[in-house]
Amino acid sequence: MSEYLLEIKNLRARVAEKEIIKDLSLKIRKGEVHALMGPNGAGKSTLSYVLAGKSDYEITSGSILFDGHDLLAMSPEERSCNGLFLSMQHPVAIPGVTTANFLKHSVNAHRKFNGEPDLDAAEFLKLMRQESQKLNIPSEMLKRELNVGFSGGEKKRLEILQMSLLKPSLAILDEADSGLDIDALNMVADGVNQLHNEHNSLLIITHHIDLLNRIRPDFVHIYADGHIVRTGDKSLAAEIERNGYQNYLKGE
Amino acid sequence: MNLPELKTPLWGDDIPYVAGLREKAGRILHHSGFPSAKTEAWKYAHFDISSLSALQINTDVHHCDHDNCTCHRQPLPFSCYRLEFCDGQFLADHSDTIPGVYVKPLIEALFDGETKTYLNKSFPIEKYPFAALNTLYLEQGFMMIIERNTVLDQPIYISYHQSKSGYLNNMHNLILCESGSQAAIIEHFHCERANNYCNNIVNEIKLSAAAKLTHYVFENESVQSHHIELNSIRQKENSSYQAFCLKKSGGFSRHESLLRLEQKEARAEVNGIYRVNGSSVSDITTDIYHLAPETFSDQLVKGVATDHGKAVFQGKIHIAPNAQKTEGHQTHHALLLSDTAEIDSKPELEIFADDVKCSHGSSCGDLDPEQLFYMQTRGFSQDDARNILIQAHLNEVLEKINHPLIKEWLKDQFF
Repeated sequence: MSEYLLEIKNLRARVAEKEIIKDLSLKIRKGEVHALMGPNGAGKSTLSYVLAGKSDYEITSGSILFDGHDLLAMSPEERSCNGLFLSMQHPVAIPGVTTANFLKHSVNAHRKFNGEPDLDAAEFLKLMRQESQKLNIPSEMLKRELNVGFSGGEKKRLEILQMSLLKPSLAILDEADSGLDIDALNMVADGVNQLHNEHNSLLIITHHIDLLNRIRPDFVHIYADGHIVRTGDKSLAAEIERNGYQNYLKGE
Repeated sequence: MNLPELKTPLWGDDIPYVAGLREKAGRILHHSGFPSAKTEAWKYAHFDISSLSALQINTDVHHCDHDNCTCHRQPLPFSCYRLEFCDGQFLADHSDTIPGVYVKPLIEALFDGETKTYLNKSFPIEKYPFAALNTLYLEQGFMMIIERNTVLDQPIYISYHQSKSGYLNNMHNLILCESGSQAAIIEHFHCERANNYCNNIVNEIKLSAAAKLTHYVFENESVQSHHIELNSIRQKENSSYQAFCLKKSGGFSRHESLLRLEQKEARAEVNGIYRVNGSSVSDITTDIYHLAPETFSDQLVKGVATDHGKAVFQGKIHIAPNAQKTEGHQTHHALLLSDTAEIDSKPELEIFADDVKCSHGSSCGDLDPEQLFYMQTRGFSQDDARNILIQAHLNEVLEKINHPLIKEWLKDQFF
């Protein structure tokens, strides 16, 4: 067993001809919470997409090990079934597919991967009700088409519901707090905190300290121009909140 | 092309009216011929007429041993009144009687002179060569009258089963919905073998004042088949016609609808879904004539083309000068999922009134990569994700079906 759940070494990635991730290294142990902060356009979402396996990006060098296995060799669905979860900044709408049906497919795809039998409708509904109540998600929302006409807060809560159903070992939360009012933010944070334990890890991508006051990170990284320019503890986030990123971008 | 020879005389040749209809149809075909690649209405889905040359008209007494054949009384998950066709022949003896509905084999109605007011009166036969072919061999089909104010408690299910290769089936149905009647008709074309045949169908439907008809056409034809269908619909005041053309499989299929909204507040909805794969061809062609004020039409057609499949959508809304306060909407969305598949779409509006609301839109593209990626990040395999997105795409049309059991049955059949 590797010491690290996620181990990114000297990663470089580009889209079209533009290099977006430039020599990034990051290590996350089981149970740790890491926060990644950085100015707009730094490539934070690119990193989350690269980790989840989006095909638009070309990895030019470096490696990523996930629980000791080569993450880059896995398809997005293999990454998911192996325990990597990305809560997206902008989850897509899928008209014609109800939320409940989508969740059932997703849970059963994971169960199939793990050699477990499918949950039948009754078993799944019970599980879904139990988890959705914790996030204050009304069952009416689960009957609607996935993310169609959902508010920002509803979409983010649904991402966290998926996280709670899939129980990932590494959850990447890409701006899980953006566009949320204080109540929704608390719900998302409470949901994440309930799921977090010593066996799983979080990588939180955010602009705001509000979320980090609720989900306490062990490490805070400042990410700019495609790599990590500074790593510290939670106090670094507070400093960024006060002084902005300018001090860390100098000399770049 | 040489027309199939009439080796056995058809019923009704000794009735001057019927003989006259057949003779006129023969003259039209002789004069205008079949559509070629240069015929505008047929240029995208060209019909190779030589494919009919090996076929013959089924003039025998029904001989598929119907009581034992697989089509007979296939269980359905909804209760219905059944009418049966097999190999192009209407089997009145195997069909249910329907309370409040008069059904008579066409040939008997021709004998009794009941069809004169209706037959070939709802469309210009010169423009429809296959309807002329249908008339040349006019014999099979039925005349149906859904009597005044009859509200049917269950749908009329019409099974068109094909047990053999080699037939050109010309079927002509007259469906008269009297005022205030309400009914649903399901036409189910099916063949469990790779038979080579051609179904050439003409439905003439008249909706009198305030009549309501839901009309499902479910094509599950053989990959070697040809299916040509003309639905000619006339609507009177405040009548309502809702159609679903559902193409699951077939060889060459052209589903054509001609709607005439003749009196005010007539409403029509013409929906469809198609899947073309292998080398199958699907053509959905619709002409909707708004001929009176305050009429309404809406059309939603969605399709998927893969392999070497080819699909054609042609839809035209005509609005007459006096048809003020009319609404006509038309939408076609298709998924083109292989480099070798083809989709041709021709939406048209022809508006001669100024106070109308009309729209049309057509799109054609691949599955959304963002949706596919999102689903994969949730553990869906790429194939599962694609299939679910294709289902979702087509489901938008199926969701418009009001009858829950018919909707579920069709979903089961399709997916």
